[in-house]
Amino acid sequence: MFLQLSISGLSQGAIYALVALSLTVVYRSTTIVNFGHGDFVMAGAFVSYVLTVMLGIAFLPAAVLSVLALFILGLCFSRGLIRPIRGGPHIGFALMCIAVGFVMRGIARIVWGREVLPMPSVFDMPPIFLGNLIITGDAIFIIGTTAVLLIAFFAVLALTDVGKMVQAVYQSQRGAQLIGINVDRFNDVTWGVGAALGAVGGILIAPVSLLHPDIGASFLIKGFAAMTLGGFGSLHGAVIGALLLGVAEQYAGAYINTALIDITAYLVIVIVLLVRPHGLFGRKSVVKV
Amino acid sequence: MMPTQSQLRLRTVLFWMVPLALLAVPLLVNSYVQFIVNSVLIYALVTLGFNFVIGNLGQLAFANTAFFGIGAYASAIATTSLGLPWLATIPLAGVAGAIGGFLASGAALRGIRFYYLAIITLAFGELMRWLYVHAKSVTGGTDGLSLPRETVMGYSLTDDRVKFYVFLVVTVLLFKATLNLLRSHVGRSIMAVRENEVATASLGIPTSRVIVTGFIWSGFVVGCAGSLFALHTSYVFPESFGMLHLIISFAMVLVGGLGSVLGAVLGAAALTVLPEYLRSFPGMEELFFGLIVIAVLLVLPQGLASLLRRVSPIFVERFYRE
Amino acid sequence: MKRTMKVFAGLLLIALPATAEETTGLTEDTIKIGVMAPFSGNAASYSKAEIGMMAYYEKINEEGGVNGRMLIAVQEDTACDPAKGLAAVKKLISQDEVFMLHGNSCSGVALAIRPVVEDAGLPWVIAHAASDSISNPLAPNIFHGLPTGSANGRAMAEFVLTRPDTKRVAIIEHSNDWAHSYSDPARAYLKEQGIEPVADQTMERGQTDATAQILKLREAQPDFIIAALYEAETAIFLRDLKKYGMSDIPVMGTAGTDLENTLKRVGDLETVQNYFVIHSYIDSLEGAGLKPWGEMITKYYPDEQLSTFSFASLGSAVAVVEALQNAGPDLTRSKFIAELEKINSLETGILSHPITFTADDHQGVKGSAVAGFVDGRPTVLRAWGERY
Repeated sequence: MFLQLSISGLSQGAIYALVALSLTVVYRSTTIVNFGHGDFVMAGAFVSYVLTVMLGIAFLPAAVLSVLALFILGLCFSRGLIRPIRGGPHIGFALMCIAVGFVMRGIARIVWGREVLPMPSVFDMPPIFLGNLIITGDAIFIIGTTAVLLIAFFAVLALTDVGKMVQAVYQSQRGAQLIGINVDRFNDVTWGVGAALGAVGGILIAPVSLLHPDIGASFLIKGFAAMTLGGFGSLHGAVIGALLLGVAEQYAGAYINTALIDITAYLVIVIVLLVRPHGLFGRKSVVKV
Repeated sequence: MMPTQSQLRLRTVLFWMVPLALLAVPLLVNSYVQFIVNSVLIYALVTLGFNFVIGNLGQLAFANTAFFGIGAYASAIATTSLGLPWLATIPLAGVAGAIGGFLASGAALRGIRFYYLAIITLAFGELMRWLYVHAKSVTGGTDGLSLPRETVMGYSLTDDRVKFYVFLVVTVLLFKATLNLLRSHVGRSIMAVRENEVATASLGIPTSRVIVTGFIWSGFVVGCAGSLFALHTSYVFPESFGMLHLIISFAMVLVGGLGSVLGAVLGAAALTVLPEYLRSFPGMEELFFGLIVIAVLLVLPQGLASLLRRVSPIFVERFYRE
Repeated sequence: MKRTMKVFAGLLLIALPATAEETTGLTEDTIKIGVMAPFSGNAASYSKAEIGMMAYYEKINEEGGVNGRMLIAVQEDTACDPAKGLAAVKKLISQDEVFMLHGNSCSGVALAIRPVVEDAGLPWVIAHAASDSISNPLAPNIFHGLPTGSANGRAMAEFVLTRPDTKRVAIIEHSNDWAHSYSDPARAYLKEQGIEPVADQTMERGQTDATAQILKLREAQPDFIIAALYEAETAIFLRDLKKYGMSDIPVMGTAGTDLENTLKRVGDLETVQNYFVIHSYIDSLEGAGLKPWGEMITKYYPDEQLSTFSFASLGSAVAVVEALQNAGPDLTRSKFIAELEKINSLETGILSHPITFTADDHQGVKGSAVAGFVDGRPTVLRAWGERY
């Protein structure tokens, strides 16, 4: 039972990891937490639904196109709606993100509001039995895709010039500007990357969870909990926090009470912030007066 | 431009004239409009309390919905289980909300700030909702609690017009009290903490005590609003205190004007009344709501209150950040 | 100031109270009916029920209306939120001045508006919300035109126990009022029969994995599982059940799901072949008995995808039209209520059980059939292995 729970926890955690990582990417470069990110996840899933089911495009090209579409959406969002309010109070950003999320959800609701749509399983294969252990195609697909993406992501960050540029901006926006990096454009691209990563999460989860306009709502909180656990702002922390959260939910549900699954994320947030506010891998950045 | 002495006097007169004029409302409108007006009063209080923490104290805390729920449940439980008259439960709900505020400030004092604070208080609200669902014996679980029918001095408290007078008195009192608090030295310390906490502390002001005070007052105001809400709907039920409520009241604060007391009224009124006009477009509400908020953020970053300030310096306050 | 208050208090007394007029909402050739439904928000899928009902109005209007009057639906959104629902019902009563109310899909909203409707005195026929407390204790003007939660919950548990040798029953549900409206009466019936559930599991809305729940169910070794879950979660639960090799355990679902769409969502018959649902209708979704109703709905609402929700309010709509008809051309609210109370064993041609209202019982539908797959086809059942 323990192993079984761990596998399903990891496959949930993989989705959370994509969400948490995309939140962190945006947060690190812009210090904005995207409170509407759940709806970007939803939008990614819906775009791929439109492409595969309604237009009949094969899954892989459709997925690439949807990720691209969300990248552009994120970019436009940053350029058109975030940049103009930069001078205002910082919490205006939070509300802007929420409002854009509402708009996207509203559109999805008007078109598909009264239905729960099935999404064809991409990786339709019989489950593998290892003794008592059952591993499904979906789990393999989700964990596998996420792993490949994460490796690629961190490799780019650590090994390439683009990665060095990102590190530079993360350390000091002004410093980066001085050495000729266009920070504004960099931030726009960051939003695009964030939205695209979220979309991958949506595309991966939709065949499992079915598709409806509220599909993204729960992922936002899971992403927050994962970030908090891993240390707010830490990229690898977000990933590890997400995987831990995924399995923690399963253990809490199975060994204590299934009513706890839904609030595990909230409990994690409260406990971590009270006991160890900087999480597992975060730097201490606490206001001391 | 700051208001002159005579304008200040005019402002005081206006502050009392408006509620006095409102006394006539029940004579002019039907019970649907009355219900909406009552909602505006409640949301004005919610926004006032929320604004106190995010606009005046400058802390990004989202526990507002939790205070609201705590107040509503405190009132509902006190009337149904303890048999108290509803009127007597208003201060009780306020105190319950204040305790919630005290707990939330605990997080702020542990050095948990900004997004950390936002997220932990968000979690606090959701955990409270979980509690309403699962503490069945007290809260009625998912079935919620229905308030008993009551009369006050012969008037039925189920009548929206009677409710209106009670709500109006509570609202005016709490607005007045909040204004007085903001104008006192406590209020100045609260806004000093928002501007620069370290500098404030270096002046010898006990900033942690200031923060606790801010949260407690916010909890008290919103807790009272929760009590009004319990009577308003006469039915308290966990789903009313979810994320959606939080988002709407957050939008009310910003649409009205961050840190502005006048803005609390304007934001609450705008976002309560406008959706009612959107009723003719069923299903479009989320979309419209989102678009309205985006428009305000882009065009009116200081909120609706800044529009009035342009008209006359009477509406200038010293509570928001320019 | 004190004097002003006194004056206002005096004026207030004069303004109080506006009682219901008998013919409000009627003209020579129209009857205004207030239709409340969650058109927005995360329960918007429920409003399919009211769409079906409004299609029926359209059909009646096309056939010449009721005693020469057209049925005009005034739609109001409740968003499944009590405060919004209260505003909606007050608007319908005091601003739109409708003759009667028909509809509403969320029990939480219905419970919140009940006192208002009761005071206003206009007739309200509940079309979709199932909670018993809406119409019990009796209110003279409130009628339940569909099986209530207790009728459905009982029907679920009864069906479960008609399966031979069923002793171990497990329950999985959402922790919301909707799920409890099914599971509580089911539990009560099981208790009457001396059966305690062997497992009580929660699966919340939005969960995309049921591993923890299913592993716990596996330990409990149930003969039958009662699942009060929404559409998406039902599909996830059934799929995970199959994944863990437990799809031979029968599962009893609520009226909130149907076999046809659940099959579409999970994709293969094997996963759903042991899934049963409360099905309050005479035939399966694609069966001949429901076909004309479905065609009627798609005629007036061409984009509507049919699910069992689409038919939920039709029984009550038939009863409403019947009572309006019988009340004659000199329609009043009290005549209409009197005619409703005369409805006895009305076969609606859609509901599996007849509608009967009496002066002391306004819960009109006392039972519900069940649907399950027989030979791979959705089939309406009376009991385990017995066709309707």
